[in-house]
Amino acid sequence: MSLEHVDDYPEIPVSLASTRTMLKTGAWRSVRPVLTERTAPCTTGCPAGLGVPAYLDDITAGRLDRAFLSLTARNPFPRITGRVCPHLCEDGCNLPIRTGDAAVSIRSIERWLGDQTADVAHPQPNPPTGKHVAVVGSGPAGLSAAYYLRRSGHEVTVYERRAEAGGVLRYGIPDYRLPAPIVASEVARLRNMGIDIRTGVALGADVTLADLEATHAAVFIATGAWQERPLEIDGAELLESGLAFLESVNQGEARVPGPHCAVIGAGNTAMDVARVLRRLGADVTVLYRRTAAEMPAIREEYEEALGDGVTFEWLTNPTAIDKNPAGLTVTVETMRLGEPDESGRRRPIPTGETRDVRFDGVFAATGETADLSPFPPFMQTRAGNLDVRPDGATRDPLVFVGGDLATGPATVIDAIVAGRRAARAIDHQLGFDARWPMDELSEPVAAAETNPTYITRRARTDSPPVATVDPFDEETRTLTTGEVLGEIERCMSCGHCNACRTCFVFCPDGAITWDEGPVIDHEFCKGCGICVVECPGHAMILINEREVSHA
Amino acid sequence: MRERLLLTGNHAAAYGAMLSRAEVISAYPITPQTMIVELLSELTASGRLDAEFITVESEHSAMAACVGASAAGARAYTATSGQGLALMHEMLHWAVGARLPIVLTNVSRAMAPGWSIWSDQSDILSQRDVGWMMVFAETVQEAQDFVLWMYRVSEQVYLPGMVGMDAFILSHTAEPLIVHDQEAADAYLPPFEPIYDLDPAEPRAYGGLVNRDHYFELRYKIYESMERAGSLLREAGEEFGEVLGRRYTPLEGYLLDDAEYVVVSAGAMTSNVRQAVRDLRDRGVKVGLLRVIAFRPFPITEVRSLLGGRRKVAVLDRNMSPGHSGIFAEEVRSALFGQPDAPPVYGYVVGIGGRDVRVETVVDVVDDLTVREEPEMALYVGVKGLPIGPLRRDSQITRLQPLEVQP
Repeated sequence: MSLEHVDDYPEIPVSLASTRTMLKTGAWRSVRPVLTERTAPCTTGCPAGLGVPAYLDDITAGRLDRAFLSLTARNPFPRITGRVCPHLCEDGCNLPIRTGDAAVSIRSIERWLGDQTADVAHPQPNPPTGKHVAVVGSGPAGLSAAYYLRRSGHEVTVYERRAEAGGVLRYGIPDYRLPAPIVASEVARLRNMGIDIRTGVALGADVTLADLEATHAAVFIATGAWQERPLEIDGAELLESGLAFLESVNQGEARVPGPHCAVIGAGNTAMDVARVLRRLGADVTVLYRRTAAEMPAIREEYEEALGDGVTFEWLTNPTAIDKNPAGLTVTVETMRLGEPDESGRRRPIPTGETRDVRFDGVFAATGETADLSPFPPFMQTRAGNLDVRPDGATRDPLVFVGGDLATGPATVIDAIVAGRRAARAIDHQLGFDARWPMDELSEPVAAAETNPTYITRRARTDSPPVATVDPFDEETRTLTTGEVLGEIERCMSCGHCNACRTCFVFCPDGAITWDEGPVIDHEFCKGCGICVVECPGHAMILINEREVSHA
Repeated sequence: MRERLLLTGNHAAAYGAMLSRAEVISAYPITPQTMIVELLSELTASGRLDAEFITVESEHSAMAACVGASAAGARAYTATSGQGLALMHEMLHWAVGARLPIVLTNVSRAMAPGWSIWSDQSDILSQRDVGWMMVFAETVQEAQDFVLWMYRVSEQVYLPGMVGMDAFILSHTAEPLIVHDQEAADAYLPPFEPIYDLDPAEPRAYGGLVNRDHYFELRYKIYESMERAGSLLREAGEEFGEVLGRRYTPLEGYLLDDAEYVVVSAGAMTSNVRQAVRDLRDRGVKVGLLRVIAFRPFPITEVRSLLGGRRKVAVLDRNMSPGHSGIFAEEVRSALFGQPDAPPVYGYVVGIGGRDVRVETVVDVVDDLTVREEPEMALYVGVKGLPIGPLRRDSQITRLQPLEVQP
């Protein structure tokens, strides 16, 4: 525009072009805002290190395929963990610290994503490597290892001793928490990747370790911990195994000894046994020698058991079991709490006070151990445990192990991580790149760095309980899409830009333009840092200009 | 619905803002203005007025908030007085340069120190050269109506407008007030269309650096708009009569036709001048009144035609520009200068710091005018111990002490 005549002028002193083109005020800057990808506390909380804010962002943007891919790069089974994971991710959430609001319901979102992508095929494996790897056991560790080994391009055969694949997912976790058809469909999806899953083949009985080593480039063993730890009390032979009971129920062969049942122990298996018995119509009393504060069960499962009407007898230690004409008599001793033991929990100390209680059946669920009989003695330590490195390697260079077999009873996600870690180690062992992410996570975004001012504040939405006719139908439902999107709005997206536009709105100079995400015009940005302060998840940081120019 | 109420000038001003449908009100309390924004905050809180009421920590911020609101396209209103108006000064300039049609009611009070809350025109006239339109209300009705009148013209010429009214004499005095029907007020004052939309999609600098090669032209357009405002004030005053039943003009004459002597006055003291003129007419003195309503833009042509050929003109100033004269006198003198029929102009400084300007005071002024032979820049009326007259000459005041030079 020419300004040769007064009539050419605007009425007010306004820049005739966008100010960015005129004023190179970036030269004033001593610090610059930079968009970064930082670790969220939910990610560090997750044993698998899942980048939660990133896949939540993908969901909001409608990129479900990408969300599925980024999730399955670390955990192939969101449908399963979305139902049974103890969601340690949520424990790390900055939202409660910053606002007092409940944590974002990440597990419910993961479940929704899992269900939405239930029919999405897993990615094509890499080109064949010519290597054949055996996986023994088809629980979460075995299936996870099989998945990653297959994606690496190896030929994979899974050996499962039972009739159906899934291990603890199929035979341990009750249907109302994890329906069998979901496990079956996940197994089917793995078969579609070209994974050969052979059921009815038991290690030791049908095939030996030596056989497998002779025909495969590597063997991964994850046969779980299925042996009930023996209870050394009089009449222990009258006890029923909690794990075996769950297994029979999951095969549709439930047999309840009578209307009054007891469960000894207060771990996660004990909770499942107690709840299943309740659902089959029995009165259930959990006998535990310590108190609720020391119980190993995940809090949520304990609360669900309470909700089902399970009775808990604390400081109650069974010392003997005997038959009576109508059923069983359990002699219990009242305990008191002493000093903490090596696990950090207060030790139960006998008081000498005993009483007799009558039940129709008593189930033991005081812990499970692994069957190590298929392993030759050289692979075991003097104490009788397998000698295992963190990546699953053993004293036999061809053999890797993982899951409950190696660690004792742990969570599904721990087993999935063990499978991925072993797949990576096997890749490496076979001369390939270690392909599956096991990177060290950096320090997560601290609560004090976040800014909850502009996020949507509303009550947390969890997968809600539903009324069912069959007590073994799934007890909760998957959130609706609307509920999920609403729940994601609560997330501050720590360390990940989810294109919320807060920086764009607050930049006082209009130095931020938008191209799917913020684009900082460094010719113009004066480095005031307002974007960094306003960014809800602190996905922007200020760096010194000197660091940039010297970089 | 049109209502007739008994209200103070302050409450009338608030009604003026309400009838104007002000959308953003930002103000800081100061005596004797506080009642205006008190009532507006009540009207806003009750929902009777659909506006954002922004409380601030100073008058500077109050005007800054109005500037922002107006730039964003809202009709903005504020009210202040005395020291508050002085504190706003920088932002008053901003409103002009940014061409923002903000309307402000200033309840005129004397400047401190000594601390004073009483009527005096020094505060508003100190803002003479900023570039705001200025009108002076005489009645409670005008305190209300002039707010609408200012918006009507401001939004045509994109210059802000100030309504001056006198502390207490008008601000706290109740008179019958016709509160116009809102629909009629709407018909008079259509919604505000900003000169430029602020558009986040296309960020631009507003009010940024303008070099020597452009500033003059931008100012020239302001001067031109202020000139245009003169005729628009007249047209909008006529429209006010047609739509709302009360006609307003930049100047108002009373018993002027055959007047040999004319008293020029502005603001609420004019009512007493009117009475004095009547009384003096009864005595056979051929005197009339010229009331200045619009001070900026100053109605130079009409002043010339209405005062040309008179025998003498007395200008009453409730203000004083030290080292010169009362400011209205200065303006009138300047308008008449060089006119072949220009009458002599006698400046009278009256009522400084809220001292009463009674009917008798005006009669004394006219008596002095009729006998005084030489026009004076400023004649002081009612200073204790002194007759009406100019400042004491050198011989009458203490001289500078000679310096004691050390050998």
